[in-house]
Amino acid sequence: MLSKVSLGRYYPADSFLHNTDPRVKTILYAVYLVAIFIIKSPVAIGVLAGIILLMLILAKITPGILWSTVKPMLPLALFIFVINVFTIKDGNVLFSWKFITVTAYGIGRAAIMAVRLVFLIVATSILLTLTTTPLKMSDALEKLFAPLSLIRVPVHEMAMMMSIALRFIPTLAVETDKIMKAQQSRGADYDSGSFINKIKGYITVLIPLFVSSFRRADELAVAMDARCYRGGKGRTKLNPLKLTVKDVLTGIVFTLLAVLVVFID
Amino acid sequence: MGNNIVTENPNSIEVKDVVFSYDISDEESDKAPRYALDGISVSIEKGSYTAILGSNGSGKSTLAKIIDILEVPDSGKVVIFGKDAGDDNLFWDIRSNCCCVFQNPDNQIVGTIVEEDVAFGPENLGVPNPELRERVDQALKDVGLYELRHRDTSALSGGQKQKLAIAGALAMQPDILILDEATAMLDPSSRDDFLEIVEKMRAQKGLTLITITHDMTEALRCDKLVIVNKGKVAMEGAPEEIFMSDDLWQYGLKRPVKFNFAFEIAKLTDSKLTKEDLVSDETLTAALTKMLKKPGIKYPEYINHSEDKKEEREIILSVKDLSYTYDGSDVKALDNINLDIRKGEVLGIVGESGCGKTTLISHMNAIFRPVQGDVIVHTKDGDLSCKNKKDTMKIRQNVGLVFQYPEYQLFEETVYKDICYGLKKMGIPKTELSKMAYDAAMKVGLSTDEINSSPFELSGGQKRRAAMAGVLAMNPGILVLDEPASGLDPRGRQEMFAIIKSLRDSGTTIILVSHNMDEAAVNCDRICLIDGGKITAVGTPYELFQKERADELGIQIPRITRFSSLLKNELKNTWPDISFPEIEFNPEKEAQAVVRAVCRAGGADVK
Repeated sequence: MLSKVSLGRYYPADSFLHNTDPRVKTILYAVYLVAIFIIKSPVAIGVLAGIILLMLILAKITPGILWSTVKPMLPLALFIFVINVFTIKDGNVLFSWKFITVTAYGIGRAAIMAVRLVFLIVATSILLTLTTTPLKMSDALEKLFAPLSLIRVPVHEMAMMMSIALRFIPTLAVETDKIMKAQQSRGADYDSGSFINKIKGYITVLIPLFVSSFRRADELAVAMDARCYRGGKGRTKLNPLKLTVKDVLTGIVFTLLAVLVVFID
Repeated sequence: MGNNIVTENPNSIEVKDVVFSYDISDEESDKAPRYALDGISVSIEKGSYTAILGSNGSGKSTLAKIIDILEVPDSGKVVIFGKDAGDDNLFWDIRSNCCCVFQNPDNQIVGTIVEEDVAFGPENLGVPNPELRERVDQALKDVGLYELRHRDTSALSGGQKQKLAIAGALAMQPDILILDEATAMLDPSSRDDFLEIVEKMRAQKGLTLITITHDMTEALRCDKLVIVNKGKVAMEGAPEEIFMSDDLWQYGLKRPVKFNFAFEIAKLTDSKLTKEDLVSDETLTAALTKMLKKPGIKYPEYINHSEDKKEEREIILSVKDLSYTYDGSDVKALDNINLDIRKGEVLGIVGESGCGKTTLISHMNAIFRPVQGDVIVHTKDGDLSCKNKKDTMKIRQNVGLVFQYPEYQLFEETVYKDICYGLKKMGIPKTELSKMAYDAAMKVGLSTDEINSSPFELSGGQKRRAAMAGVLAMNPGILVLDEPASGLDPRGRQEMFAIIKSLRDSGTTIILVSHNMDEAAVNCDRICLIDGGKITAVGTPYELFQKERADELGIQIPRITRFSSLLKNELKNTWPDISFPEIEFNPEKEAQAVVRAVCRAGGADVK
């Protein structure tokens, strides 16, 4: 079911990474993003996997939660793998049939590509979505990008928009599911038929979903108005971000680990 | 307009001659703008408990928005406790002292975590820590959500979400709290919970409480009612004054059920009720007892509604040993359900939110394919199993399913096209399309104009009918309706149930999902109670709502039955031998039954 999608969802727990300052996590995320896309050697990948495992433990994320995050992306990872296997033609040919050529080098590269994607998803989940509430996330981005507001970039507003978007993901997922069921009971079929037909079928979901999103946006705006929202000026915070020594150390240690991985590579 | 002198009473909310239109005024348009508020004046005292009533689209929500300065009047004056809402310097001061709880819980939650959401309001006001923390914790304790403060807001139930909305309001420490149909989407027990909390807070903090509601019995809890019609105040006064009036229907309203019952007794005994009689249950039962003691009451004719033996009717749909568990959940959403639905009946499926009602009906037309157990649809052309993939379309043609708020599934340019969508999908030949679509629209009472307009231009009630027509067009033998009347005003509800009754009379079997015991009791032939994914009882309303049986099942007795039994106890003091063999759930019919019982007990001339 769509409402079970955990991509972009927060996982409530009390863990080391949950309590780490979101700004540190955001910076670390950027660092690991770079690391993930630089490395190529299997040893480095192994070490990186070890670091990610350590993060998982520090975030108290259960294998079940991890699986539900990775699972929806596996088809894409597989797709990338297959495409790469068939398109890379360098190296020792293992198998060749008509225009299909499979090489050992190709398999290796393809595997790295697929693994990178999986790492990317896992890193995003552990460092950001699963361990950081959208409001904290937007706080962090607001703080990190605060200097930009000097050149009139509406940093607070953008951060608020992002956190609301994240807040509404589960709501809209449930809504989509409801609309699909309603249309199915009128005879819509989203599972079979040609690709074009399927796309056409989704119009019956998308239009009502758009209409309802506008209605929700409208109601939410009124509700926020009623709660005296007037932008970032003069706002206080229930849980203001506090950078502790622990946070700084966490940042340094994990950055060094990332540098180590790149160095091994 | 210089002579709009408002008495600047520091102890009341004064709305004076307010005009407001949502249409952006267009000088070149010949159409006069439609006014949501059309010169409305109302005065609400500090600390009072006021209900604003009116039909859908009467302007009552707009009035609430004007009071919270969420909308600024085109003309007229609003003064809140002596502060002029037109004064820009007082704007935030006024707004921060007035809080709203809206109807849809999902569309007013900003935070992903419970405590973050509660903090949103006071954060906007710039409340510093540690006061902010204290306010949030206190508000959460007040509504009983403190233990859940670190929860994900999307994991809360509907009732909990509305409590969260109150907490969010309380944390702002307002003087005025406005509930804009805040209980409309809740089941009866969460509704009671919600009102209890709000009323307790009002008593503790001296809040001025304004509630907008379609529930007349809920309105009885208030000190004062304001009836809004076409953007003006049509009536105002204490509940007992308002409900004396015979004009309620034209404003889309009805009397609370117990008053309908009382007025019918007054009519049958040729007596008159006074507003003093309506003040409390005690005064009302006393007045009614007095009426019934009068000599010379005519025996009300018993109208037999030609009950045929429903047990002997053929079974049209059977649910067999059905169980279902959602992915990633350990709890069974459905646990071994067995249920037979007979041709031509109205079967009610009743239970609290989250009991498995929707999961059950989703199996009835193979939206969910049975994993354990089966659902069999018996048709003229033989039995269809929901397990069988190739029968799916036939099943969906036979079993029409209208989900809650079906208006949200409309998508075509015109209502006609939308109604035809299902027909086309079912492969109905083009020549028959138009007739079938128009037939369906007729059944729900849509006019030709409405059929050819865009569904998004219709009013809420009409949209719902259009969406229902989209399912009815396929001429299903069985129609499953999930809360078909939710969100409608009392008149709209009554019209909806009239449509359902006419469908039933034309031979459609109806399965009605509801959490409203009053309506289930009146409209259903049989009721199936569900709790925690299990069927706890199936029976006629008469069987289930006997006091002992209802207590044993732990269900709410319909309001009419509760009030009627108060009166019956009173009557037993006068006529110790009186017996009440009939129980009716329609207030008028129940009144007749009571009068008949009194006549039989020797209260009047028995023919």
